[in-house]
Amino acid sequence: MTFRELVERHRIVISAGSGGVGKTTVAASVALWGASVGRRAVVITIDPARRLATSLGLETLGSEPREIPAAGIGPLRGRLSAMMLDQKGAWDALVERHAPPEARARILANPFYQHLSQAFAGSQEYMAIEQLCVLVDSDAYDLIVVDTPPTRHALDFLEAPRRIGDFLDRRIVKWFVRPYFSAGWSALLAMNRTAGFLLRRLEQATGISALAEISDFFTSMSGLFENFQPRVERAYKVLRGAETAFVLVTGPEEQVLGDAEYLSSKMAELHMPLKGVVLNRVHREYRPPGRGTRLGELGPEDVEEVAHAVARALGGGGREARELAANFVDYQALARGESLRLEMFRAGLPRGVPVVQIPNFARDVHDLASLAAMHAHLFGAKAAA
Amino acid sequence: MPASVVERRLHFVVGKGGVGKTTVAAALALALARRGRRTLAVEMDVAGRLPAVLGGAPPPDLSVISVDGRAALEEYLGLIIPVKRLLASIFSSRIYQYFVAAAPGLKELMTVGKIWYEATREERGRPAWDAIVVDAPATGHSLQYLRMPQAARETFGVGLVQREATKITELLRDGRTTAVHLVTLAEEMPVAETLESRDQLRSLGLPLGHVIVNRLHRRHFDAAFLERLRTAASTVPAAERALLACVRERAVEESGWSEINATYIARLRGELGDAPTIELPFLFVEEFGRTEVEQLSRLVEAGLAGRAEAGPRRRSRST
Repeated sequence: MTFRELVERHRIVISAGSGGVGKTTVAASVALWGASVGRRAVVITIDPARRLATSLGLETLGSEPREIPAAGIGPLRGRLSAMMLDQKGAWDALVERHAPPEARARILANPFYQHLSQAFAGSQEYMAIEQLCVLVDSDAYDLIVVDTPPTRHALDFLEAPRRIGDFLDRRIVKWFVRPYFSAGWSALLAMNRTAGFLLRRLEQATGISALAEISDFFTSMSGLFENFQPRVERAYKVLRGAETAFVLVTGPEEQVLGDAEYLSSKMAELHMPLKGVVLNRVHREYRPPGRGTRLGELGPEDVEEVAHAVARALGGGGREARELAANFVDYQALARGESLRLEMFRAGLPRGVPVVQIPNFARDVHDLASLAAMHAHLFGAKAAA
Repeated sequence: MPASVVERRLHFVVGKGGVGKTTVAAALALALARRGRRTLAVEMDVAGRLPAVLGGAPPPDLSVISVDGRAALEEYLGLIIPVKRLLASIFSSRIYQYFVAAAPGLKELMTVGKIWYEATREERGRPAWDAIVVDAPATGHSLQYLRMPQAARETFGVGLVQREATKITELLRDGRTTAVHLVTLAEEMPVAETLESRDQLRSLGLPLGHVIVNRLHRRHFDAAFLERLRTAASTVPAAERALLACVRERAVEESGWSEINATYIARLRGELGDAPTIELPFLFVEEFGRTEVEQLSRLVEAGLAGRAEAGPRRRSRST
């Protein structure tokens, strides 16, 4: 299967990888391509740096998908929409939907709620998946591309539903909702001397009355969390479904490839198999054609030889020729290291996973035209290998 | 007047993912250790790359530790609740697990608190460390850590944590002790984020150290000249033609990056005013290893001392 076929055959494409590898631009480029071949495409980003907004030349993105006019790249046969997940807004909306009106203000001001909605590891990712499920159900899109946060957090992305699910586990929640809990430690003390003692000690030591806040929060929100487990299961069903393709985006640097390998093994563990790989910002190694060159390689030691060849072609220009040659061998060293590492990386990938390679464009990719320029490498003739 | 940056004890290295933050933190730690300062390099969260970047065997004046919020909290509770069996039953209880996960910012506070503890710890009547370099998590996240002590002062009830948080905040805000360095690339998005972080530091009252611009390309090739090369290449035999095409392609790429870098470094300088910057070159090597970190650390050292950095390096492997 080619990468093109992969995207053609899946409705959901999730772009994963570590920070700074170009996940967001790959996600946006895939969605743009889908739109250009007639699909109703949407790209969701959850990156707080609002990179996609910049990538798409948009100043702001809302928490609802917004259609993007395809200015400057010719007409699209389909449609392209984008949305930036507003994490806090999504949680607040959940509260609006499920909490009794009189409790809303109290919940929104509850420090535990604020923590859960803004800083709890996996909370943002979980909301992205919720949003993904909403779009999947809506039938408004037939290609949904999801951008994810950096590696350590990308793991959060994979594990977010479970983590949130554990956290909001019904049995535990019930326990917190028991009325005597909010009545204070003395009530708890009566129930369980040891636990009460420990908690009081903790509270004294830290000055945090988090447990009372948790209790208050769950008491107000109990309706919502009763139904949380099915939502988590639904999320995993979508992530593991046959319609979904996880695409790993990576650069050729050693540390980045290490992260990519880790992420790919973690995906397998969680039964979210990797279906495609994009090697981004790669330098092509120059291999001299034919025989007569030492070992078929050209390295820093050949700088004079290259300078001569350039000078010969130009009929002079010694200084410029040397500078060009020095630059050439610098990039050659870079390219050779990259090609060795990528070869090893590819050998470790599951068989049959399509791999495409995008060269290192010497420009910031931040508009539709430059996103479209990636298509030849992702989907075109250049992606055949 | 704040002390010169190199004299300060606590250095946070902050930047968005993929800009080379860990490498720069390692280079800074090496630079400080080389000046004979007993240096502690700290990575936040577990299993970071800092020890690997430092090459397994840091020099004698340099130690590396990992700080993880949960472990720090347990260490802290160990100080105030000395009964071991009591502690063990606290840590294993489900309620405690909840407490740690749910208490807003507690983990972050404890992470910064542990760093604070190391920064103020004394051994034989003098500070245990002359310098501490913290490889902070990606930008948004690290500001969350640095913001925590202040947030904690406001939200937590009167208690030990609040007292600790107050002390920590004072230290972090003290320009004689602390510097927050921002690592960036001279490209659109990293520069935008760096300027945002600078504003946030300002509003948090945290002292900005150096802005370190990493991976700079600096070779410009004249476009007309490259065009001449293209024309000339078409007249040579096929074997050389491919080589010359590649020579030209790479010159175009290098010029392209140099131009982008020049544009954004100009924007950065314009916006930063008199904040000191350190510029580090892109290193063309097959494998980025300890030698390269050493090389960057020399440049960081020169930059900290306010010396102009050596011009663009040709190649790090000159022999």
